[in-house]
Amino acid sequence: MRSLRRRLLVWSLAIVLLGGVIAAGVVFYQARKQANELFDYQLRQLAFTLRDRDYIPSAQALSGDGLDFVIQVWAADSRLLYRSHARIEIPGPSEAGFADVDTALGTWRVYTIWHRGLWIQVAQHRLAREALAFSASWRTLLPFVLALPLMGFAIWRLVGHEVKFLRSTAQAVARRTPESLEPIDAASVPEEVQPLVDSLNGLMARLGGALSQQRQFIADAAHELRTPLTALRLQLQLAERAPDAAEREKAHAVLREGINRAVHVVEQLLTLARADPEAGSATRGLVDLMELAQAAVQGHGAAAAERGMSLALELRDAPLVVDGDRATLRALLENLIENALRYGKAEQDPLPAAIFVRAYRSGAEGVLEVEDAGPGIPKEERDRVFDRFYRGEGVAEGGTGLGLAIVRRIAQRHGGRADLLEGAGGKGLLARVSLPLSPA
Amino acid sequence: MRLLLVEDDSMIGAAAQQGLRHEGHTVDWVRDGREAEVAAVGGAYDLVLLDLGLPRKDGLAILRGWRAKGLALPVLIITARDAVSDRVAGLDAGADDYLVKPFDLDELSARVRAVLRRRAGRTDAVMKLGALEIDTAARRVRWKGKEVALSAREYALLETLADRPGAYLSRAQLEERLYGWDEEIASNAVEVHIHGLRRKLDPDLIRNVRGLGYTLAAGA
Repeated sequence: MRSLRRRLLVWSLAIVLLGGVIAAGVVFYQARKQANELFDYQLRQLAFTLRDRDYIPSAQALSGDGLDFVIQVWAADSRLLYRSHARIEIPGPSEAGFADVDTALGTWRVYTIWHRGLWIQVAQHRLAREALAFSASWRTLLPFVLALPLMGFAIWRLVGHEVKFLRSTAQAVARRTPESLEPIDAASVPEEVQPLVDSLNGLMARLGGALSQQRQFIADAAHELRTPLTALRLQLQLAERAPDAAEREKAHAVLREGINRAVHVVEQLLTLARADPEAGSATRGLVDLMELAQAAVQGHGAAAAERGMSLALELRDAPLVVDGDRATLRALLENLIENALRYGKAEQDPLPAAIFVRAYRSGAEGVLEVEDAGPGIPKEERDRVFDRFYRGEGVAEGGTGLGLAIVRRIAQRHGGRADLLEGAGGKGLLARVSLPLSPA
Repeated sequence: MRLLLVEDDSMIGAAAQQGLRHEGHTVDWVRDGREAEVAAVGGAYDLVLLDLGLPRKDGLAILRGWRAKGLALPVLIITARDAVSDRVAGLDAGADDYLVKPFDLDELSARVRAVLRRRAGRTDAVMKLGALEIDTAARRVRWKGKEVALSAREYALLETLADRPGAYLSRAQLEERLYGWDEEIASNAVEVHIHGLRRKLDPDLIRNVRGLGYTLAAGA
């Protein structure tokens, strides 16, 4: 039974009834005891009366007031001299005093006296006494039973009234929408329900936070997509207006680049969305950081050479295994390497620039590093640079502004962190990601 | 017309510059706020296309600075910020128009023309000065009712002179208006084009007053 109200009702009434039954039981025993004493006394009195008289009252006279007495008189030699009720036979006396005698008709309480050579027996059926006790205990129980419906009604209404606040709380929650998640007023709510309301408010606060983060992300993403899309639209219109095939070729090439950029922005946005906790993950498992670093360096070798840069891999303390999502960790490392390729070399610098990619152990953590000797990031900006869509002051263009936000998000989701430090010799940038190693 | 394009995204900037040049405008392109400030004050621009999300200084701050200094330069804002509050802020900061990204090249051109028209006090896209009729939207010129074919530079020069009827523009000023930073100017380019216009339209149409410069003889 799932209704609180019904259960309270049933249990309350059950307890009350039980109380009533116990009371009735106690009364029964008390009453019976008293009845026994009273009737025993009466039996004796009757016996003495008979003894002191020389005649025996008629059976009719004896059965009045509902007190059915049976009298038997025996001679000393166990000859029955008198029986008040012909059909009721009680065994002959064996000794004087009270005795309980079983017969086919039930149990009798018998008082026997010996007087002048005669046994006088006065008996009363047990039931007569029990009847009295029953009626006394019934009279005790009856009020309880009669009151039961009234009590039931009262309890029902009372509990219903107390429980009304649950309904109003439910209505308050129902009124909440994703746009308005104000906490429910816990002041007027009973103690027992306060923890529930507090948890509910906590949940709504977390939900509100998550929803507003999502909203913010969508707004930011939509805003960010406008730039590549604007370029695409303009580039397409220029291609449409191209006067000859040669111009059209050029315009198409530009358009192609524009589309690539738009695709890249969308991919970064998706990576960022997936790095958020609500997204599920299909590639979770054990990830070998060494192998990840190797694959990333190999994958970017050509791009590095194109820009006059080189990628150097430094690995030690194998194995480095973390419990995580391979796809997003790869995205993390790729973003760091792409940043280094894009910004890791001052434009005017003719010398080939080296980018170092490292993986090593530090305590219970696996560390991935990407270091370059380019212009770096000024100290004041190093924290803001992690914000979504933030582009540094001196940064021309080319990036989406999302790379470091992605890196930090993924690191956090794996229980680690991402830091930006100065490169060797105070030059350039060292991006370091620390992740807890898998205990396995 | 000579336009200053302030846009930090290279793809958008390149495409917009190319598109506007096709329309016959002279376009100088800067990519951040500080450069924009310097250029606007120094150069003689007919209109500034101002992106708001710029590195080094925010577009609105720059605009407010210009207006505070009394710079009456026409400004058309182009931005991805589309909320009503942003548009209101932009227009109230002193912009002549507000265009949201992504925008259409044709719409951009039309709005540029509209702002320039308003600034010149005209309401019609077609300028009529005596026998001369210039359709600024279609970039076509009629002399005494007959259509005359002009080169892009000739048209630009004519439009520049017609925009300020009665005003005198020196050769240097004309050069400034017709040629962007990254374009080579032959020393006698302006004279060549003036000569071309006189030949195609009317010898007395453009007067040259020593010390003052060229002017369009209105009502000719």
